[in-house]
Amino acid sequence: MSELLFLLMAGGVGPVLLAEALLARYEVLAYTAGWRAPTTELPAGMPYALGAAADRPPDAYLVYLDGIGKRRFRDSRDGGRLVKALIAGAPELRVLGQVLPYSPLADPLADRPVWAWLRRHVGLLLFLHNVMQIFVAADRRYRPLYNRAVGTQIATQLRLAGYRPGSGIPVVLLSYSGGAQVATGAVDELHAQLRSPLLLITLGGFHNGANDLTHALHLHLLTSANDRIERVGTWIFPQRWRLFRRSGWNRARRAGRVTVHRLDPATHVGPRSYISPEAQLPDGRSHLDRTADTVISLVRAGRSATAATEDEQHQGH
Amino acid sequence: MSPAVVVLLLIAGLSEALGRLLPVIARRSGTSRSVVAGLLLTGAVVEGTVFALWPLTAWSLAQLVQPAPPPDVVVPAWTPGQLAPLVLAAVLAFPLLGPLLHLLLLVAVGAGLAGPLGAATGLGWWAAAGCVAVAGLGLALAVEAVRRMVGTIGATGAAEPQP
Repeated sequence: MSELLFLLMAGGVGPVLLAEALLARYEVLAYTAGWRAPTTELPAGMPYALGAAADRPPDAYLVYLDGIGKRRFRDSRDGGRLVKALIAGAPELRVLGQVLPYSPLADPLADRPVWAWLRRHVGLLLFLHNVMQIFVAADRRYRPLYNRAVGTQIATQLRLAGYRPGSGIPVVLLSYSGGAQVATGAVDELHAQLRSPLLLITLGGFHNGANDLTHALHLHLLTSANDRIERVGTWIFPQRWRLFRRSGWNRARRAGRVTVHRLDPATHVGPRSYISPEAQLPDGRSHLDRTADTVISLVRAGRSATAATEDEQHQGH
Repeated sequence: MSPAVVVLLLIAGLSEALGRLLPVIARRSGTSRSVVAGLLLTGAVVEGTVFALWPLTAWSLAQLVQPAPPPDVVVPAWTPGQLAPLVLAAVLAFPLLGPLLHLLLLVAVGAGLAGPLGAATGLGWWAAAGCVAVAGLGLALAVEAVRRMVGTIGATGAAEPQP
């Protein structure tokens, strides 16, 4: 039995993994070389933002960067639940869920012919593709390019959703799981293009800690003792270890720009996940409700802090 | 050198060139597909030649260590079985783990060369492995120096103003 398993791994899964890993960087390569332009248009009838109406400035723009289940512009099932809960609880926000964190060309995986076939027959490969994209984004050789590509994608979608560069309206990057790698990587590009006050919220964030967070106001890390996937990220990436004092992550921590919030006993995925509407807490709220409440309170607190800073600056002048 | 070895050398060279080129292309904008194809083909020939020279260089080094090899000895050369793993050299471009996997691949292939070299020269396995390692390192440094020189010339040429 174990020999059969080994043969299956070596002869089947191994080459598939290798081929996938080698193909994974094609997108970032095509983007940088200029062989293909990134997609900016959304499917017909899909709005560029939900929540607060476009006729007056919202309190903040919130961009949701989903986990590895993201394969189309529309929200995944879990991501969609969270986005709906956020819009219901904070109607003053404009929420964008269409950014594709695992596609530098903003090309939905579900719409590509081969991948559409694979989705019907070997759906697991779509997750594998997105995992590989996280590793491409974390690789020091491709990271600056990947960050620029997805940072530009976010900035473009924000502009199309009505964001005005230099307006001072805060932008919140709410990322789930591997979305944290992209969110932390997009900071510099968003700062360069929009000059927006940036707040990061990671939910079970999986990232390598190499990205510079100097231009982010703050990073709120939502985690749980039962989140094994997030913990794996802190083990496998040396720049997350305290030993690497000069990494972007450790510099942000020493500067007091990282705050940890515990959402015990939520798990990373499954029926007791952070986004589960079924799992109940002793206070009667679901895990989804608590996560949405926490995010909303952090965004509102961040908005108040930004407004106070702006007032001080105006008085100073 | 058998036709199978020549074909494998070219494929391994192409694979190595692909692995080295992908990260470089990813850092340069405006590289056309035809330029990439040309660089890949040139790289395939250069890297394939370097692979071809590896056992010969190790043999030359072994002769320096052991000046009088046994008579009627056959100079070790690639066999298809020893060479075949190098067609996976593109693993170098693999995200995050690529350089480590590439190093492991070269160490494993190098270890495969040490046995025949040791038997042919009368050197022990470790001494033969040392010759293989030094030869591999020397060739790698030489080809890296050429790569950097070409890269510098290319960058300088690109930076010069057009007349």
